[in-house]
Amino acid sequence: MLKRKFTPSHVKVLDSPPMLILCIVLAVGLYIGCFAGLISNKAMRYLVQIFLYITMGEMWNLLSGYAGMTSLGQQLYIGLAGYSVAMATSPLFGLPLFGALLLGAGISVVVSLFMSLILFRLEGMYFSIATLVAAEAFCMLFFAWKFVGQGAGMTIRINPYPTLQEICILSMTICVVALALVYGLLRTRVGLGLTAMRDDITSAASVGVNIFSHKLLVYVIAAFFTALAGGIFFVNKGMIYPDSGFGISWTISMVFIAIIGGTGTVSGPIIGAIIYVFLNEKLADYPGWSNIILGTITILVILFLPNGIMGTLQKKLHFEIFSSKRFSFKLKKAAKEK
Amino acid sequence: MGNIVEFRHIDAGYGRIQILSDLSFEVEEGQVYGVIGPNGSGKSTMFNALLGIIRPTAGAIYFDNIDITRTPPHIRCRMGIGRTFQIPRPFEHMSVYENVLIAAVHGTGQSEKKAGYAAIDALKLTGLYEKRELLSGELPLLDRKRLEVARAIGTQPKLLLLDEVAAGLTDAEVKDMMKLVKGLKDSGYSIIWIEHIIQTMLGSTDRLMCMAQGSSVIEGEPQEVINSKTVQTLYLGVDDNE
Repeated sequence: MLKRKFTPSHVKVLDSPPMLILCIVLAVGLYIGCFAGLISNKAMRYLVQIFLYITMGEMWNLLSGYAGMTSLGQQLYIGLAGYSVAMATSPLFGLPLFGALLLGAGISVVVSLFMSLILFRLEGMYFSIATLVAAEAFCMLFFAWKFVGQGAGMTIRINPYPTLQEICILSMTICVVALALVYGLLRTRVGLGLTAMRDDITSAASVGVNIFSHKLLVYVIAAFFTALAGGIFFVNKGMIYPDSGFGISWTISMVFIAIIGGTGTVSGPIIGAIIYVFLNEKLADYPGWSNIILGTITILVILFLPNGIMGTLQKKLHFEIFSSKRFSFKLKKAAKEK
Repeated sequence: MGNIVEFRHIDAGYGRIQILSDLSFEVEEGQVYGVIGPNGSGKSTMFNALLGIIRPTAGAIYFDNIDITRTPPHIRCRMGIGRTFQIPRPFEHMSVYENVLIAAVHGTGQSEKKAGYAAIDALKLTGLYEKRELLSGELPLLDRKRLEVARAIGTQPKLLLLDEVAAGLTDAEVKDMMKLVKGLKDSGYSIIWIEHIIQTMLGSTDRLMCMAQGSSVIEGEPQEVINSKTVQTLYLGVDDNE
């Protein structure tokens, strides 16, 4: 029998105080930088992309990496939010940016609740295909809709149009809120259930995890934040048409980010998003090749680093950032204090 | 004492394939109830019906005198049915302690702190306490099987369903497992235990049922059941024609 002496843990957790403080300092630093205009426009353009992709990647990771719902149709909510913002801020309705963004996210939440009625009857591959088809269906709808300019799309006309600085701050706020929410969620009992679902959904059900309610919660949260990020993305871009809103390329980028970074870890999509944005920027010079190169990288990572970059690093070096790990010795301390 | 489980004329199966036909049996509270039967006789299907993974097409299942025929699985777990998997399915990327903690939090609805102490108790009972911070994916088979039991106990069940917990273990390990099950019985759990190893069942069950072709063919004292002609025929292949 194994008589190895009990080691406190096989994993060092880096999040508690020092790591969290570092993150907060970094975030505050970026905020100040944005507000004071210390960051160049070029850098800000990168930052906006990174923040938005982190948010989307993190949400996709929550969906697929934790709750076992490999959705290929999150662009449904990106497109909906983009069009909502475009329509609501048009001279006809004249909503301010904030209102329009929230409206877009609200519509997405309502649609996601409705979609869950249909989608949650399906599992695995069937679920994935159904999400993709749903997104395509919405794409067709907007293609045919005269009011939104059919295939030509809409130009977003917000009055006054937000500056790049404002967009950067907004996207950063959403990113920080999304990260904090994911991290917080994983440390609650719901998070415990989600982590269990990540490892084995059948076992999770057998120990009393309510799979349906967990899935629903995650699906709605993901729709909300994906929509917010999508809305801002199109404000930044200035126009939207059906293919850019509901295109499959959104899914490709989310999958890429989550897989490169490491699914089932909180820190993975952050690294993934940073890599993705820079790669994307470099590959913009070779339009036809970009997807081939991204695809090749994804396959190589799946083959050689199946846990993604962060997942592999964490395993090799025995640490975890933003961990939701529970330790029995923490319990003991609590007992002694009593 | 009353009955913890009652199957009343259950028909069930997967899709169009009917596996259980007119299965009826009762388990008294506090008993270790053994179930044997050849492959494909419907033992695991019976568990699935009891757990709510499949819905019976006819009949009713009572747990603690409540009709649970249409209750969803996670509610049944909360009501007090804990299970182990035949092939252990731990949450591999989580520690042993976390595995049981999840069961204690979601299986009972108590706060995480309280559940933590319950999890420690379950780990001590199953002899996994020393290994509580190891990754469950790194455990050897016996410990994985123990973990299955610990996780089931974590949900604070009244009834434990053990699905071949001794299969694939060495003789010495089987003895360990039998000791563990005896300990569980003494701490007041009712147990339904599916197993192939007849010697194990003989030593540790109060009653024994033999299933074949989806229904109960004989039920009674373990010794009687095993010596009966039906079981001899089923297991040793003594053919009627010979």
